[in-house]
Amino acid sequence: MKIVMYALMKDYFEPELLVEEPVLNIDELKQVLLKRNADVENVLGVCRFAVNDWFIDNTFQLQSNDVVSIIPPSSGG
Amino acid sequence: MTLSPSSPPAVADNFPYISSIPLDLPALLAVAHHPEAGAVVLFSGETRDNSHNKKVAYLEYEAHEVMAAKMIDEILKESIEKWNLNYAVAQHRIGKVGICESAVAVITCSPHRSEAYAANRYIIDKIKHEAPVWKCEYFTDGTKEWGGNCNCYAITGDPDKHIYTSS
Repeated sequence: MKIVMYALMKDYFEPELLVEEPVLNIDELKQVLLKRNADVENVLGVCRFAVNDWFIDNTFQLQSNDVVSIIPPSSGG
Repeated sequence: MTLSPSSPPAVADNFPYISSIPLDLPALLAVAHHPEAGAVVLFSGETRDNSHNKKVAYLEYEAHEVMAAKMIDEILKESIEKWNLNYAVAQHRIGKVGICESAVAVITCSPHRSEAYAANRYIIDKIKHEAPVWKCEYFTDGTKEWGGNCNCYAITGDPDKHIYTSS
């Protein structure tokens, strides 16, 4: 599963990373990311997640070939 | 696509919602006219030279371009419907934006000014709060800080809930 980081998330991870552990949903993905970098906990807590350019919630069943975007709170304008 | 002055589309289709080149405000404004519109409001969000009590050198914007464009399109169409606008357009920069340069522009046209003002305010607020676009401030002292314009979640407790109103 490819994870794409945006904005502030790139201060904690490379812009793209691969998760090969089996993760079924966003909560499980968060746990994998926290194991890799515990400092991201507060930021991760306010991020939204998207798969194939659509926002998803924790009920979404992730697939191993999904591309997951991690979307921090917006700060445009 | 060439816009006909007599029948312009409600949403501009010849300006990309996300632009990596400087926004051309005169060009945006030049086509923002409609025979039934008595009011045209242009908002330009521009880089100021100070923030957090520090001198700003420049801003750098990043976006999830596909999602941001889709969201801006939805916001414009929703606003056209809600305020019965004759025309609306919005563009947001990505990349480096210098002091006094436009980072985001919104134009709304309607028969009377109250709707054009209200819709314009709604569009810019919603873009700032919801579109996946991010600002990083670069200061003259060499430091940087990711922007956090949208701190609504600190109040609402939910990053999907915002405190702006639609009227």
